[in-house]
Amino acid sequence: MSGASAPAGERIVDASERPIREVNRDIRVALADGAPVVVRNPGARHNLGVALLGEGSVRFDGSVGYYCAGMSDGATIHVGGSAGWGLAEGMLTGTVVVDGNAGNSAAASIRGGTVVVRGDCAARAGIAMKGGRLLVGGNAGYMTAFMMQKGIVAIAGDAGDALADSMYEGTVFVGGEIASLGNDTVVEPATDAEQAELEAAFAQFALARPPRFRRIVAGRKLWNFEKHELETWRAAL
Amino acid sequence: MCGIAGYLSRRDEPQPVGRILLDMLTSLARRGPDSAGVALFRTEPAHRETCWIRLPESGDAAAHERRIVADLAIVGDVGAIERRHGLLRVELGPNDGPAAIRRAVERGDEEIEVVSVGRQLELIKQVGHPDELSGTYPVEDFRGTHAIGHTRLSTESRVDLTHSQPFWARGVADLATVHNGHITNYHKLRRMYEQRGVRFFSENDSEIIGVYLADQLDRGLSLEQALEASLDDFDGSFTYLVANGESIGYARDPFALKPLVTVETDDYVAIANEEVAIRAALGTAGVAHEPSGHVFRLWRRGPIAAPAAA
Repeated sequence: MSGASAPAGERIVDASERPIREVNRDIRVALADGAPVVVRNPGARHNLGVALLGEGSVRFDGSVGYYCAGMSDGATIHVGGSAGWGLAEGMLTGTVVVDGNAGNSAAASIRGGTVVVRGDCAARAGIAMKGGRLLVGGNAGYMTAFMMQKGIVAIAGDAGDALADSMYEGTVFVGGEIASLGNDTVVEPATDAEQAELEAAFAQFALARPPRFRRIVAGRKLWNFEKHELETWRAAL
Repeated sequence: MCGIAGYLSRRDEPQPVGRILLDMLTSLARRGPDSAGVALFRTEPAHRETCWIRLPESGDAAAHERRIVADLAIVGDVGAIERRHGLLRVELGPNDGPAAIRRAVERGDEEIEVVSVGRQLELIKQVGHPDELSGTYPVEDFRGTHAIGHTRLSTESRVDLTHSQPFWARGVADLATVHNGHITNYHKLRRMYEQRGVRFFSENDSEIIGVYLADQLDRGLSLEQALEASLDDFDGSFTYLVANGESIGYARDPFALKPLVTVETDDYVAIANEEVAIRAALGTAGVAHEPSGHVFRLWRRGPIAAPAAA
């Protein structure tokens, strides 16, 4: 750690030319001291800010690589650029905000908390989500919310092919166009209560939102195997 | 895994694209350090064709060189000749074209292969880490408009010069590809092309991409149309980059299985598997974006306003 103190008790960690393990250790030490952390020169390197098990604030001053904020439990993490694959994978609680775009599998398998991507998500955002929220300010790619189990995925822009394919439970909201729906999904208008909730959530993170969302939920045809619905299964598998 | 990288300057004056590609590939080398290579493009076509030719590993290199030069003299006006690490670089004045050059040099000998032909293209590759590329050719000193490069993790075929990337799209001057992934219908496509008399030099599935693109161009498709068609004609996981004298582009499989990130600024377009390579080589400018699956894109040289025509 550079040790340089910034205003408001911020702790500066410079990531350039240092092993990520050391950088992450410095972040953990600062958070344990109750100091907000600013990470300079993250350089889109992988595994930054993984397994931060506690509250506190971490700001990455640029892009991060794969698995940033994975397994996070309580921290508020801000990425000043874009994020690579597996952003916040397996997060339990907390908040992750990305100013740029996210790579494949953003918010994969999160159990709680909120992931915000101001720009676009590539393929498979929200795959196997087990709780929490993913808010996308731009567009989301192929197979967003694939096999989602619980929670909310809200996309202000357009959704790619096979949206919410084989989802078990949870709700996907889309403001823009849907390229194609995944297997066993049902599209409905969002209720007024859901619309109000989404407006509040998007306003909280200063995200532009569409005038109206549609919601996508599980058709529940794949929950139990029925021989007379064999064709549904054939299509899904 | 393999690492792939590309860079296109939007400016007319030559840029240090060799240095930039080396920096990107060094950053990606942990994705596979088995072999490395770059396809570098001069700003303007030279007056002569540059041919890179792979020499046989066995036998007297000087004798091989004499034979190749004699063969080349039949199809063109032989200029400067240099021997570099198992490769021969020959400049050819007025000549009968890439197909004739290949016919003259390859002549059924398994060991001799025309690695590239072009007036803008220098295609340099070798076994080993990207750091060692400059031992073959002064890549770091090369200035031009654009380049693509590769660092390889061999998964299904040999590690040697022939199996290294980039691959020249044989027969089409100044067209090269680099690939990350597996083309799973490679054997089927290869059989089809072999029945038409196309010769393959490696067992690397990535070799099929250049063969395919050359075939599509031969059928009258534009490069952009060929990229689009490949999204459905190739199976498996692929992100590949393509470059010719005036453009650079990518194509990505429907499932987006292999990583791909682009950064566009007023000055350049940078493409790599991982953003970390772009940041290591070019700093913090621009916002990185990962496209979804079943996508392709082609950027032409010149300022941003230029239309990306097919």
